[in-house]
Amino acid sequence: MALVLPAAAFYSVFVLKSIASTIQYSFYDWNGVTAATFVGFDNYLEVFREDELAGSIVNAFELILFFSIIPVTLGLAAAATIRKFATSRMAMASRTVLFLPQIIPLVAAGIMWSWLLSTDGLVNQLLRAVGLGSLTRAWLGDFDTALPAVGVIGAWVLFGLCMLLLLAGMTKIDPSLYEAARIDGAGPFREFFSITLPSLRQEIGVCVTVTVIAALASFDIVYISTQGGPGNSTLVPGLEIYYLAFFQREIGTASALAVVLMLLVLAVVLPMQRLTRER
Amino acid sequence: MTLEAYIETGFPLPKALMDEFTAQYPNVTFNVREDQFAVITQNAPRVLADDPPDLMRLPQVSELAEDGLLLNLDGYAEAFGWDQWPATQLEQMRVDDEGRRGSGPLYAMGLNSSMTGVFYNKQQAAQIGMTEAPATLEEFDSYLQAAKDAGLVPIAQFNGGATGGLAFPLQNLMTSYGEATPINDWIFQKDGATIDTDTNLQAAQHLEKWIDAGYFAEDINSMDYSMMMSRFIGGQSTFIFDGDWESGNLDTQMAGNVGFFLMPSATEGGPQAAMSAPLTYGISASAANPDCAAFFLDWAATNEEARTIGVEIGGSRPMGPADAFMPEVDPDTVTAQTLAAGATIGEDNGAMDFIANATGSIYAKSWTPNLQKMVAGELAAEDLLPAVQADYESEIG
Amino acid sequence: MIVSTRERWLGRVLLVVLMLITIAPFISLFVTALHPPGTYPAGLSWPEDPHWGNFAEAFQSAQMGKLLTSSLLIELGVVPIALLIGTMAGFALGHLRPPGGKVIFLVFLLGLTLPFEGIIVPLYYQVRDLGLLNTRWAIILPLIALFMPFAVFWMRAHFINMPEDMSEAARIDGATTWQLFWRIHVPLSMPALSSLAILMFLWTWNQFLLAVVLVDDPTQRTMAGALGAFQGQWGTDIPLLCAGSLLILTPTLILFLVFQRQFVTALLQGSVKG
Repeated sequence: MALVLPAAAFYSVFVLKSIASTIQYSFYDWNGVTAATFVGFDNYLEVFREDELAGSIVNAFELILFFSIIPVTLGLAAAATIRKFATSRMAMASRTVLFLPQIIPLVAAGIMWSWLLSTDGLVNQLLRAVGLGSLTRAWLGDFDTALPAVGVIGAWVLFGLCMLLLLAGMTKIDPSLYEAARIDGAGPFREFFSITLPSLRQEIGVCVTVTVIAALASFDIVYISTQGGPGNSTLVPGLEIYYLAFFQREIGTASALAVVLMLLVLAVVLPMQRLTRER
Repeated sequence: MTLEAYIETGFPLPKALMDEFTAQYPNVTFNVREDQFAVITQNAPRVLADDPPDLMRLPQVSELAEDGLLLNLDGYAEAFGWDQWPATQLEQMRVDDEGRRGSGPLYAMGLNSSMTGVFYNKQQAAQIGMTEAPATLEEFDSYLQAAKDAGLVPIAQFNGGATGGLAFPLQNLMTSYGEATPINDWIFQKDGATIDTDTNLQAAQHLEKWIDAGYFAEDINSMDYSMMMSRFIGGQSTFIFDGDWESGNLDTQMAGNVGFFLMPSATEGGPQAAMSAPLTYGISASAANPDCAAFFLDWAATNEEARTIGVEIGGSRPMGPADAFMPEVDPDTVTAQTLAAGATIGEDNGAMDFIANATGSIYAKSWTPNLQKMVAGELAAEDLLPAVQADYESEIG
Repeated sequence: MIVSTRERWLGRVLLVVLMLITIAPFISLFVTALHPPGTYPAGLSWPEDPHWGNFAEAFQSAQMGKLLTSSLLIELGVVPIALLIGTMAGFALGHLRPPGGKVIFLVFLLGLTLPFEGIIVPLYYQVRDLGLLNTRWAIILPLIALFMPFAVFWMRAHFINMPEDMSEAARIDGATTWQLFWRIHVPLSMPALSSLAILMFLWTWNQFLLAVVLVDDPTQRTMAGALGAFQGQWGTDIPLLCAGSLLILTPTLILFLVFQRQFVTALLQGSVKG
């Protein structure tokens, strides 16, 4: 038991105690300097009533589409396509390349992409080159595209990880299953839906969990690329907590939003764990 | 002795002053940290409380002063004789015990006093037939249309990220239609003040007209301040709304090709007003070297070398007594034009603080998102001012 | 296995496209870094006169030497301690299985999905009250704590599969629990330990939120935090910003290329188990 003590001590002092404090703060009106007053559930009501706060939660859920669904589906498609020569030289080299976004700080991804997505950036340059000049815009500064653009950055970061995870899972599938299917005359699509997909339940679960948490708890990318703008259209809970607590100094509201965020993550992740672990 | 300083990035004035100060007083050096203004605004309460700098570029001071984070400078003001200067210079930095600005103890000082208006590219102005500054708003409108017709970008005004730069033209338009005093009252949080007035609504509608007419560059919602400067200097914008802190820079980078005028009134010969504010620097209430920092602030306003730097690099009138030393300025420069405009504003009693300075977070959390929405057509001019007023009231409660 | 030529080609083309998309931002960053300082280069274009000096200038103005030292010091503060105490706890919970261990483990698991933003506010006040604000300790101590759920989880999963008989044999030889742990199990756990070390190294290096909130001085921050500050200071000069960003990325890129097999394995396993 003594062996657990140091870990448990660190964990209790900085994590458990902080979770408790967050919950405690969330019932007070406090500016961090002068005395706090107890306000009950007012801060929570504010989180759900104010467009800005509730909107940030909606935005986070929209990001799931980009951080999670796109990388996982694209990852599945790509992994299924290259599965058959997963051990070839090129596939091995691709591992290194596709992993790069995983090892760099998200801040760096944000800086790179803000530049790519700017008015004179590479994305618009390519669009003009293929004759789609009319589509060009300042992607991160446009109400209709800013959130998807932030999403694309996340998708770029997370795609490689998802694809390689799924690929690793696919190489574990017994090849004789595929041989049998071929002999039965199954095309690549039937093969994918009747063999590949069911065998990958656990890997897909992992990908979805990791990416959904990344979406709901996003901070770095948004902080760097849009600061929540234009007009709050890319505001996410993580950033709003930061603004509320350290800038507007509404510690209570910030903490209420933090509690909501922690609960949301649990609410989304726990059922998913159930789904993938049960067989 | 080392002074801890926290300054705004991208502006050479503070560093130039510090270098000169160290040259004159070699026992004092500066340890400088820089951030963009939006970041300083976000960090201000935390930094002042927990990592106290001796000198810091300040955003809006009322809440910082109210929370006791800033050093009361009244003692220094008396000792150095700042209280003998024209009173309007320090007005914006006085805060009473309820957080209202305009009177009360002094909580900050200016490195100089800046002033805003419209800069224009002389070559492009000639191309659209603008030979002298427009005398009325209507005339200005016609030049904007002419620039648009000539295939130029009339105004590339920054409005991206957390900095809604359309607040510059908006407030300028407010002064075209109305007076400076009610706007100042609102900024100073006087009881019952509102931004939602008839003349301000006319201004917002006029701004909307400009947006709809395509007078602004298409991508202003993602344009930051430095990109605006780069475009203007590179001839990709005929006009910009900006302040005289750029005069020195523009005189170097666009020598002879840049002009300045104050926003014209809606009626010919009407009074002119402008946003004019000290470049505020304050001292943390728990700073290690407050005396030295205060001496530096006094020096920046009174030393001849410092005042010369203030004009030539800062582009604005230094703080200090009305009859203080002024360096010679070449009359053909935009610096000369902005200094002269400053005098006009003084005569018309048209100096105002910036509407973005009304409360600590009104700029980043209200003006900016709402103006960005207006650019995107998601918010009508009629709804802009009520929205901002609601945020204002919920904040000062 | 039967693979048709068409499928093979389709796969190849797809891979190349994916690699191009992955690498394009890096190339854009590099090319932009070579443009004259203070300009806004349009899109991807090779500058007429590449400014290699930008790298030197960014290195100097960003105080890259100090940043590197700071990040390394933080790594040294976090990784060995977190590794040691996490492994100790994992060993106890996975191998010794004391009474009540299940509950303790569940409490640790709770922290596995915790978004850091959830507790950043109280962390700030706690660190301030400890007088550690703006020191590296402000990042090191909370980070060790925040890594515990994963470290314990990871090492427990490893130790739970270690055969009992080995320990029993050692016990009969009179080994104390500590000797059992340190002399026998730790040396046998090197693969699991090194993966965990790599993951924690990377997460520390790239930690942004704690650095931004708890430490103002970039020379006391992690690399990601320093990069954030660098953007604050040089956001006004795109080519220099790009040059600086590349420099900040270089150390991890080199480490990654050298140890890529270990990195890939660690990250893949890390997410499967996490």
